[in-house]
Amino acid sequence: MKNRLKLLRVERGWTQEQLGQALGVSRQAVNALETEKHDPSLDLAYRIAVLFARPVEEIFDNPHA
Amino acid sequence: MLALGKSTSSAHKRYVVRTIAFMSGYVAINVAAIFGAFDDIASPVAAWVLALAVSAPVIGQIWATLALMRESDEFVRAVVAKQFILASGLAMAVASVWGFGESYADAPHIPAWIIYPLFWACFGLIAPFVKSSS
Repeated sequence: MKNRLKLLRVERGWTQEQLGQALGVSRQAVNALETEKHDPSLDLAYRIAVLFARPVEEIFDNPHA
Repeated sequence: MLALGKSTSSAHKRYVVRTIAFMSGYVAINVAAIFGAFDDIASPVAAWVLALAVSAPVIGQIWATLALMRESDEFVRAVVAKQFILASGLAMAVASVWGFGESYADAPHIPAWIIYPLFWACFGLIAPFVKSSS
């Protein structure tokens, strides 16, 4: 799923490891999200949205829109 | 068994420790058997106890793999589950072909426990090609 996760992470100067710790997932999971190898669960998508204080659809493109 | 890149998650560390523990037990029992420690077993009950003892570390290692899935984050869980399912399917397919080969084509008999190393061989073949959860 296309997303702006890497952009948002880099804007804050975080590493994938740091973002993973903030979200409670592995660095591999963050890398997989950024490279579109993993579509997040609704729960994880909302956790990411809360962390970056943005609506989910500003971070992840809605593939059905 | 499993290699998940440079993972250092606590779930993966627990998996490695559990796998080493179970495989150490497996090797110890089999080495003892090879050197004749169980050659005097005569009763069928004792023979089945030995069979269960040798199988126990294998069952434990399967549990360790399932526990890794349960304890990992959603991405690792999805990828390992996908690899596990594909490897299981391939191992069952190979075992079925061979089993019917034994029944109908005089293929040499292979003991059923071979399914376990066969599964991991299939897992090793599949894993490099399954890195995505979707």
